[in-house]
Amino acid sequence: MSTDTSHIRNFCIVAHIDHGKSTLADRLLEVTHTVADRDMRAQYLDKMDLERERGITIKAQSVRLLHDGFELNLIDTPGHVDFTYEVSRSLEACEGAVLLVDAAQGLEAQTLANYHLARDAGLVIVPALNKIDLPAAEPEQRTKELANLLDCDPADILHISAKSGAGVDELLQAVIDRVPPPVGDVAKPLQALIFDSMFDPYRGVITYVRVQEGVLPSHARIRMFATHVESEAEETGVNAPEPTPVPELGPGEVGYLVTGLKDVHHAKVGDTITLAGKQGATEPLPGYREPKPMVWSGLFPADGSDYADLRDALDKLKLSDAALHFEPETSQALGFGFRCGFLGLLHMDIVKERLEREFDLELIATAPNVEFHVFRGTEMTIVHNPAEMPPGGDYDKVEEPVVYATVITPSDYLGAVMGLCQERRGELVDMSYLTPERVEVHYVLPMAEIVFDFFDHLKSGTRGYASLDYEPWGQQEADLVRVDVLLHGEPVDAFSTIVHREKSYAYGKKMVERLKELIPRQMFDVAVQAAIGSKIIARETVKAKRKDVLAKCYGGDITRKRKLLETQKKGKERMRRVGRVDVPQEAFIQALRVDDGGSAKGKK
Amino acid sequence: MSAGIYVHVPFCLTRCGYCDFNAYAGLDELKPRYLRALLTEAGLAAPAWDGASVESVFLGGGTPTTMTAGDLGSLLGALRDAFEVSPDAEVTTEANPDTVEEASLAALLAGGYTRLSMGAQSFDPAVLRSLERLHSPDSVRRAFAAARAAGYVNVNLDLIYGAHGETLESWERTLGETIALAPEHVSAYALTIEPATPLGRAVARGDVPEPDPDVQADMFQLACSMLRDAGFGHYEVSNWARPGYECRHNLGYWRREPYLGLGAGAHSYRDDHRWWNVRPPEEYLAMVERGELPVGGEETLDPSDAYLEEVFLRLRILEGVPSSWVEDDRAEPFLESGLLLEDDGSLVPTERGMLLLNELVLGLAASSAAR
Repeated sequence: MSTDTSHIRNFCIVAHIDHGKSTLADRLLEVTHTVADRDMRAQYLDKMDLERERGITIKAQSVRLLHDGFELNLIDTPGHVDFTYEVSRSLEACEGAVLLVDAAQGLEAQTLANYHLARDAGLVIVPALNKIDLPAAEPEQRTKELANLLDCDPADILHISAKSGAGVDELLQAVIDRVPPPVGDVAKPLQALIFDSMFDPYRGVITYVRVQEGVLPSHARIRMFATHVESEAEETGVNAPEPTPVPELGPGEVGYLVTGLKDVHHAKVGDTITLAGKQGATEPLPGYREPKPMVWSGLFPADGSDYADLRDALDKLKLSDAALHFEPETSQALGFGFRCGFLGLLHMDIVKERLEREFDLELIATAPNVEFHVFRGTEMTIVHNPAEMPPGGDYDKVEEPVVYATVITPSDYLGAVMGLCQERRGELVDMSYLTPERVEVHYVLPMAEIVFDFFDHLKSGTRGYASLDYEPWGQQEADLVRVDVLLHGEPVDAFSTIVHREKSYAYGKKMVERLKELIPRQMFDVAVQAAIGSKIIARETVKAKRKDVLAKCYGGDITRKRKLLETQKKGKERMRRVGRVDVPQEAFIQALRVDDGGSAKGKK
Repeated sequence: MSAGIYVHVPFCLTRCGYCDFNAYAGLDELKPRYLRALLTEAGLAAPAWDGASVESVFLGGGTPTTMTAGDLGSLLGALRDAFEVSPDAEVTTEANPDTVEEASLAALLAGGYTRLSMGAQSFDPAVLRSLERLHSPDSVRRAFAAARAAGYVNVNLDLIYGAHGETLESWERTLGETIALAPEHVSAYALTIEPATPLGRAVARGDVPEPDPDVQADMFQLACSMLRDAGFGHYEVSNWARPGYECRHNLGYWRREPYLGLGAGAHSYRDDHRWWNVRPPEEYLAMVERGELPVGGEETLDPSDAYLEEVFLRLRILEGVPSSWVEDDRAEPFLESGLLLEDDGSLVPTERGMLLLNELVLGLAASSAAR
């Protein structure tokens, strides 16, 4: 029933952001007539609004292209450093990768990182220079650079324009010629790799799978290795590009499976599906690991009564997002919520936006932090929440995660890049010139220093030319302290943060100045203080308000005055109480914004 | 039952940037129709008020004195025909200094308007310009003298403080000039920025700064002390009067007594029921000319609305809220911090308390079951 493996090619496209991956995917859909011209739209495979808006792929998608009697499965991998694990699992589903490089920009940090991932996964690389029709393109220079990296014949590098379609037919042919067909045995027990999963409100858990061995029938009792869960699968199918049921998926084939699962935690990216019972495989495919969050933040419903809805929404998101971690958290200031773990800041933004858009929740997010290891004697505590850190230095040492960062920059901006890395407590590892004009620099940097606004500063310091990639590099001791913020003497747990001692004063000052503008005047003077333990390091005062009265009450329109009072009353009820101080939601949201702009405008 | 009648006159010479009242410049040609409509509406409304003794009539706007003294006189005559207006009723008209002179004022007085409320706003030319008022301090003095010469013995001056450009010193001069004229009544309002006005939009754009509430608080306290020293009694947050000259009509609103509003956008109240006329003058005219009561909306106060109003208004007119209405722990912080006084079984706002009246109302009215 399923296609003979010799006529199957499974491949992906790896590229640096903006090098034209989605445009190439669009063109492949057109050239193979997978999508009729009238149905075509830009970034066809990016299903979420968020993906189209941000111009990046968040979720891995697969689509089946039929060309010259071949079944070509294109697996569109996520395109951001936050999603390296998801990328690696998508790569496992392929035998080949088109390495796409912008002919004007050349190699970038992500090109290298993804190339290394693809090579490590044993994929055959089909290199292609894109945007060769751009006036700024330097095909010869770039060909040399790329051939050098791949150690290949420059003649093997294709020149294409995904935009115009030039060279795309040749690229397809190269994929067919160079990428080996998958190997797999129909007779072996089923092993299917989950490289993505999602939750459909009508159909439950849908996974995207690559069958390695055996056959996945449309209806079967299946078992997940990592979670030990069994279920009655309801449908197999392929995206062509709309979901199309097929009777079964054979070895080497890629498609979707409606798992019949309703519980959201049971189908994890990277896990292996087999058949339940005796016909099932005894071993999973190698390489599964629980994704590890790098950035943590507390998410709280702005309206406390939405707590249960937030929990349900997180449960649903977790299904399609194996990297999302969350556990209940209680904040004195913000009430009941969840401490959530994310792969990075983009991942956090995306989750937050999806919760707000798809689940119609209004959220307050605390400032993101990394994972700290706090040592007291031989005892080590893992801290995901600054409020859990012993205040005032009651510990022997603290370790923070560091990353090995790769920056590629035009040599003109090397000074700016090194200055920035130095300022962010980076340690230079080495540097090498790719060409006389372009340098590759490696730094070990504290994760905490780069997850927030490092990339923005890197971009602005190099007029957008530098690129960045990084990977986890273990833990490292640092002189870190917990800074608390107090309102009228009461610490506000949501504002506590862990920073390097040298930066604690600046942080404290920034926070109290910001809060001074955001906290409405109360019936008494409110001290806004930043403290390390019992030591106050910054202070501002919100002066008591003196006037809050409706000036005029005549002409008989009492109704309007009463309504103004009722509005004011409702506003008061929506505020959070910290000790005796009423703090509006907006103050939390504004004060906790990640950007360092002290531009907290809009006096309340 | 005693009641008040409010008549709205929506015509103005120009619109001032801060004003969000139902007032229009350039609709002068509607005046004759509008006057007829008021008389018709009075006739339509009167049966429901049969038996009510009208103790006050108040013409507000807009600028009532953009209509002739003769027209205003016949209006009052018609009201007296349609309603039982008591012989010693307080009859007030608002007046713009630039629209009155001795002869017209004498005619108004003869027509039965015994009280005059004059929109002085300020004696500082810079402040008047900032408020987009066309008149000058001199025209206020002239108009006031004309009122006295015409025989008025009950005159109010309206003031606004806290406009952009006004300092505490300038406000002190305005208060001094006001006191020097020796009116019977002074209303002093803190300038409030209404979003749907040219000034509101200018503030939103950042072209004009918002009034500084601390400066307005200083100005309020200065008004309290200067007017007290000059012998005025402070009887409502924004109103002062010589003994016996408190505005009976406005006190009616604040004491939740019944009143009937006539004219475009006018509000009425009776027995926990509020209703209001349609606002646009053309719509008002069309409805009345079809013989309909021009009601645009209404509401019936539920007990908690009524209670909130009662607390709010009692605190505003410094009569205070009976201590028995309020749980002790709600009043205590306000008593301790000197915003409330307990006086003969009532909780009464202090001067500082008046400035924070909204806080007092919300703090005290929260115990709605207590009434």
